[in-house]
Amino acid sequence: MKLLVVEDDATTANYIARGLREEGHTVDLVASGRDALILATSGQYDVMVVDRMMPEVDGMTLVKTLRGAGNQTPALFLTSLGSVEDRIEGLTAGGDDYLVKPFAFGELSARVAALARRSPTIERDSVLEAGDLRMDLIRRRVTRGETEIDLLPREFAILEHLLRRKGRVQTRTMLLEAIWDISFDPMTNVVETHISRLRAKVDRPFEHELIKTVRGAGYRIDG
Amino acid sequence: MKGRIAALFRSMPVRLALALVALFTVVSLLSLGATYVFTQRSFEQAMRADLTQDIAGFRAAPSASALAQLVEAEARVTDPERMVLSYIAPNRRHYGNALIARDEDGYHILTDISDNPRITGEFMALTTSLHSGQLTIARNLAEINALRDVFLRILGLSLIPTVLIALSGGLFLARRSAGHVRTISGALDQLTGGKLDARVGSAKGWPTDLAAIGRKIDTMAAAQETSVTAIRQVSSDIAHDLKTPIQRVAVYLNDLSDRDGLDAPSQELLDKAKAELDGIVAVFHALLQIAQIETGSPKSGFTPLDLAELCATFCELYEPAAMDAGHSLTFQPAQTSLPKVVGDRGLLGQVLANLIENALRHTPGGSAVQIALTQTEGRIILSVADNGPGVPENERDLVLRRLYRMDRSRTTPGAGLGLSLVSSIAALHGAEVALTRIIHRGEGV
Repeated sequence: MKLLVVEDDATTANYIARGLREEGHTVDLVASGRDALILATSGQYDVMVVDRMMPEVDGMTLVKTLRGAGNQTPALFLTSLGSVEDRIEGLTAGGDDYLVKPFAFGELSARVAALARRSPTIERDSVLEAGDLRMDLIRRRVTRGETEIDLLPREFAILEHLLRRKGRVQTRTMLLEAIWDISFDPMTNVVETHISRLRAKVDRPFEHELIKTVRGAGYRIDG
Repeated sequence: MKGRIAALFRSMPVRLALALVALFTVVSLLSLGATYVFTQRSFEQAMRADLTQDIAGFRAAPSASALAQLVEAEARVTDPERMVLSYIAPNRRHYGNALIARDEDGYHILTDISDNPRITGEFMALTTSLHSGQLTIARNLAEINALRDVFLRILGLSLIPTVLIALSGGLFLARRSAGHVRTISGALDQLTGGKLDARVGSAKGWPTDLAAIGRKIDTMAAAQETSVTAIRQVSSDIAHDLKTPIQRVAVYLNDLSDRDGLDAPSQELLDKAKAELDGIVAVFHALLQIAQIETGSPKSGFTPLDLAELCATFCELYEPAAMDAGHSLTFQPAQTSLPKVVGDRGLLGQVLANLIENALRHTPGGSAVQIALTQTEGRIILSVADNGPGVPENERDLVLRRLYRMDRSRTTPGAGLGLSLVSSIAALHGAEVALTRIIHRGEGV
């Protein structure tokens, strides 16, 4: 993917760019909103990562201007604040997602992948499959091979969410937002405990492990 | 309507009008009363002087028979209703137009007019011995008594219009100033509700005192708005200036952990540093959030929401974690369906998360934590109760303060910001936080 990173702090910018390049993306790095405006209007980017607070043209103004000019490149805001109000402000300015500093690279990477329009589309089938796992959304049945797996509604929802985004990492906070509609990070490892319950039913009795833990990022089911 | 009228009568201008009316009435009564008393006295004196003069006229008669003749002549042209002349001569004969008699009931005036032998009324009489007889002249007091009616009429004519005018004027002013007061209190409500650009905006027609108050409030509100904006700017500056180095430290620590060949002690140090950094970030976030909420964060994220659904979601979210820690977590919904409350789902969720985490963290294993919704007297009570040790009474106010930690909690993780965040979010929603130790136990919000 072709990505634009707009961040005025060199250390953070290099860290993001390096990580994204290691994942095989092409990354253009700029340190000011003004430079970003020129690049974004000329180049075709899949996703922009934009720091909200920058000298002169800040991230909000940048995205607002681009949206006003008809540019719809998905934008992920990086912010120092992170209040609900701040979040709403960012999203109404035309941002597509929001990440509060300091963030782990895994979180950024997973969210960038989710934003990209060129990334594999979300499965819309009524039957989802991965390996020998089969999930029938209409009859609400889950099987692995010949074995039927009994899931609670929330476990079903988590599994469905991961299966629909096969091959893509879903972080704890992404799962919290998608499954529970919660946009803050609780202190307790609540998502981990739900995943481990799901694993106890979906993975533990079987030889091949489907739900993978991606260190420092989240969970993923491969195709 | 009845309540509004009652409220109107409690208002300042009506009270002032009523007080003025009362004062005016008292003063009028006193002055008219005094005038009446003086006038009456002087009339009586004049009458007494007249009587003395009348007597003096009769004194000029040289003998008893001449006096009798004089009295008779005078009596013929005098109405006994107005003036009574009576002379009892030394031979006990009576001359005059009426006879003054006395029985056990008092004095009576008797005339020889057959159809009205007895005259009623108040008379002032002067009597004297003259030529061995008894001369009595009495004048009717009716004229003086009529004064009372005249004065009462004057009183009525002057008082009633004044009272009516003062009262209706007071009511008119009260209604007008009630409007102004409503405007002022409306602006104050908005200001307390976090709408910092609300102003009274007193117009030209306002009375000067209320307009002055309105202007003062507006000045105060403007100053508050400026300082809140400044605080917000400062906190966002601080956030930016501190978050950037924190982010860098996180980057360096990540780079370090990506290196191969780290020995176990170094790895352990690295993990500790990362954990500390997470702690710093958590405290920083919480402080920033409390500051933003307490400087009158606008209620932009407020929507009607179903508390029961929110409680159920959080109970379900935390249930596995609670179970892993050896606790039980249950949700007891209200018996009847509750009305929706207006609030910020994210913030109220944080309240629940904080209370649940608090309960899980500060109770021994095997404790039961119950989230409950109840409705009493129109108030919705959301409680998170546990059967743990609870918060001692003398520390209940303290635990709501920023960074306060109870001695026995020093060893458990946390920065002492959870409950102060809860209390500031509750304040933003106009809710109360109460820590109680009743049948339900634990914290009730």
